[in-house]
Amino acid sequence: MKREAFLLLMPGVVVLGFVFALPVAQVLLLAFDEGPGQIGAANFSKLFVDSYYPLVAERTIRLASLITLVTALLGVPLAYVMYRAQGWIRSALIVLIVLPLMTSVVIRTFGWLVILGRGGLLARTLDMFGLAPRNFSLMHTETGIVLALAQVLLPFMTLTVLAAMSRIERNLEEAARTMGAGIFATLWHVVLPLARPGIVSGSLLVFALAVSSFVTPMLVGGVRLPVLAGAVYQQMTSTLDWPFAAAQATLLLALALLVILPYARLARARGG
Amino acid sequence: MADVVVDGLSKRFGATSALDAVSLSISDGSFVALLGPSGCGKTTFLRLLAGLETPSAGRIRIGGIDVTGLAPERRGLGMMFQSYALFPHMTVAENLRFPLRMRRVGSREEQASRVGEALRLVRLDELGARFPRELSGGQQQRVALARALIADPPVLLLDEPLSNLDAQLRKDMQVELIELHRKIGLTTVLVTHDQDEALSLADVVVLMRAGRIEQIGSPRDIYRRPATIFAARFLGGANVIPVQIARGVATLAPGITVPAPSAPDGAHHLVLRQEDLRLRAARSDQDLAVPAAIVAVAFHGASLRVVVQVGDQRVALQVSADDAATWRAGDLAQLCWRREAAVFL
Amino acid sequence: MAGGISLAARLLAVLLILVVSVFMLAPLAVVIVSSFSASEFLIFPPRGWSLRWYAEILASRAYLDAAWFSLQLAVVVTILALAIGTPAAIAITRHAVPGAEIISGLFLSPLVIPTILLGTGLLMMFSRYAGGSSFWALVAGHVIVTLPYVVRTVAAVLARADRAAEEAARVMGAPWWRRYWHVVLPQARPGIAAGAFFAFNVSFDEAVIALFLRTPGVETLPLLIYSKLEFSPDPSVAAAATLMILLTIVLMVALDRSVGLDRVAA
Repeated sequence: MKREAFLLLMPGVVVLGFVFALPVAQVLLLAFDEGPGQIGAANFSKLFVDSYYPLVAERTIRLASLITLVTALLGVPLAYVMYRAQGWIRSALIVLIVLPLMTSVVIRTFGWLVILGRGGLLARTLDMFGLAPRNFSLMHTETGIVLALAQVLLPFMTLTVLAAMSRIERNLEEAARTMGAGIFATLWHVVLPLARPGIVSGSLLVFALAVSSFVTPMLVGGVRLPVLAGAVYQQMTSTLDWPFAAAQATLLLALALLVILPYARLARARGG
Repeated sequence: MADVVVDGLSKRFGATSALDAVSLSISDGSFVALLGPSGCGKTTFLRLLAGLETPSAGRIRIGGIDVTGLAPERRGLGMMFQSYALFPHMTVAENLRFPLRMRRVGSREEQASRVGEALRLVRLDELGARFPRELSGGQQQRVALARALIADPPVLLLDEPLSNLDAQLRKDMQVELIELHRKIGLTTVLVTHDQDEALSLADVVVLMRAGRIEQIGSPRDIYRRPATIFAARFLGGANVIPVQIARGVATLAPGITVPAPSAPDGAHHLVLRQEDLRLRAARSDQDLAVPAAIVAVAFHGASLRVVVQVGDQRVALQVSADDAATWRAGDLAQLCWRREAAVFL
Repeated sequence: MAGGISLAARLLAVLLILVVSVFMLAPLAVVIVSSFSASEFLIFPPRGWSLRWYAEILASRAYLDAAWFSLQLAVVVTILALAIGTPAAIAITRHAVPGAEIISGLFLSPLVIPTILLGTGLLMMFSRYAGGSSFWALVAGHVIVTLPYVVRTVAAVLARADRAAEEAARVMGAPWWRRYWHVVLPQARPGIAAGAFFAFNVSFDEAVIALFLRTPGVETLPLLIYSKLEFSPDPSVAAAATLMILLTIVLMVALDRSVGLDRVAA
């Protein structure tokens, strides 16, 4: 029995070890590499030489927070509507959420390039209402990054909150209604408090994904609005200062882990 | 305190009809049990009263007011769910206070004192600060009941309130419910599939089947005088024997007859309850009797359950275990019953 | 529960659904519409309609090579992910492994570790020890990110399936290969199908690791699109993107037909 389990797990553990743990370890090791035979934190102090990298980090965190807020504001009510919907409406909403998720992030971002650019869908619509000129563009702006990345990450928030709401006993809302609570009172006093673990979970997940996002900020924001992931890429491919890149990647990992560990603990608390 | 008048109430879910033009009058202060097998529409009826479903047709009047279009939170009723539906994120006291808060009844102090009263009423005095998950099943059930009553509703709705309790607790709670009803005199509508519960708690039993009312009456009436075969079978597990009646004589099987003086001619059913039947070696003059062969005997503690064969019919009955004669499979006996106990349908 | 939801609440729900629908679908819709543009530039709305861009990408060496490469990659990755992930899921759900929680978490962790980190590490590792990136480097990277999907879906299905069937087979004397072939794998089939879908789809769409491990001869379709987007894209990019969307839809429909999407939406 034990041997069978061992054999079944072996391939997976080996692959994880060589192709996952090793590269990550490699990065961590390189981050502390100060040159032949020397180990230290010099690469990390390079981050504070001027205000450039602190700014990049600050921008990454700030945008990730905004994105988390936007996805929560949209995603939680959406999850509730999906939770209460029946039949074909519910299926349609699930497809609405899942289909974009299944397409490449490059494609979704591409769509945003066309929407946000000069003369794009957004500009033309605003122009129709006289709110902005036709060459209005949100490309290369932080607002554009937030919008695009919020759309990319909304399904993660919604599906997590939906799963949490589905675990709420159905009768509780009905009981509240019979006790005099209207639908909004029921939402406020019963549904939201009970869905809170899911909302927290979803927020942590979205934040972690937003903080480490590369494609969307790169294409929408451009090189003048780098985020942490973009900075790493630049070091790896143009400047070729790999130890420095490793240090930045380590910083990114630390930031992500800060959020992922509570997320994992929450997931384990409710039984995975 | 209010009466409930339901007129032509129907509810369809897609193609299936859960309730079919049901009309019912529940007088102020009475305890009504809706009884029936699953799918008969009793729970749908209750939910329609509460406003948790909207009817496809018909009207509902509570205390003279037409509530048919009214949302559940505006009807001001008290409802207790089978699963208790206690809010897990609130303490017992907060659960009890919830209806008062939602209906904006009294100041904060008044609400607190009413919560205290309610806790005393169901004998959970010290447990206000606990959470529902820390209570036993029976305690949770009492909290749910108190919560349904705390805002003084005109009507109390109970959805299979005792089905989650074990047998002993159930009996205790039944007594409590009866006492509560006697004390407060609140119009109560109980939904149950357990005929014992319905018979012991209610003033009026409404037997339902397939979305319609099968029979209404006091517990005693329905039990002793079932109007249909379904009613006879559902309440008390009666024996139902097809017979042919001609000129006041009912034929159970070739050569086996009993008198049936007031029944019309034709094909009927003879309804005999298990507890009305006796087995004797020889018939006595006061009873009706037919010859029977014993097929099986099962020991059930205080009684024996015996299955006999009459002609080609199987009949089941109960005899007390300390009966002098010990019956065994293969024995022949007389199956007897009092004239008045037989019902022809 | 159908009873008495206020008009205000209903209106708000409808409004929300409309806003979210537009928000979620607009980028995809815009891409699809742009692919039929007759003009040289990506303007919206297009000023004329034409299928020329589809003709162009279907005749273009660059696009066809990239698509073929992505396809081969995805197939290899899927096979490997299934071969590694399915046994792991079986071990986690069917065998009382000590620390099953931790092992399960380990297999799912690539989902939340930033792919940028993985890409960086893989490039460093393969450069140092294997002389640089290659098809197999990319395979390795993709297997890591798709493995969690396979493990999750197979484990979910097996956890709900009847354990007793396997035990009964054992009691009846079936050797291990029979047990797997006749009981466990058939039980896991919906999970394997869903896992295959996710693995293929994720690999085909993946851009970050592909970007880091990019070298001549190692270029995926998403990567090609990404490069073109960095400069001045013409509607051919939209045509390629639309075909990718179509592929995803076809795969989703196939998955629903064979297994049922509601199982997967969890």
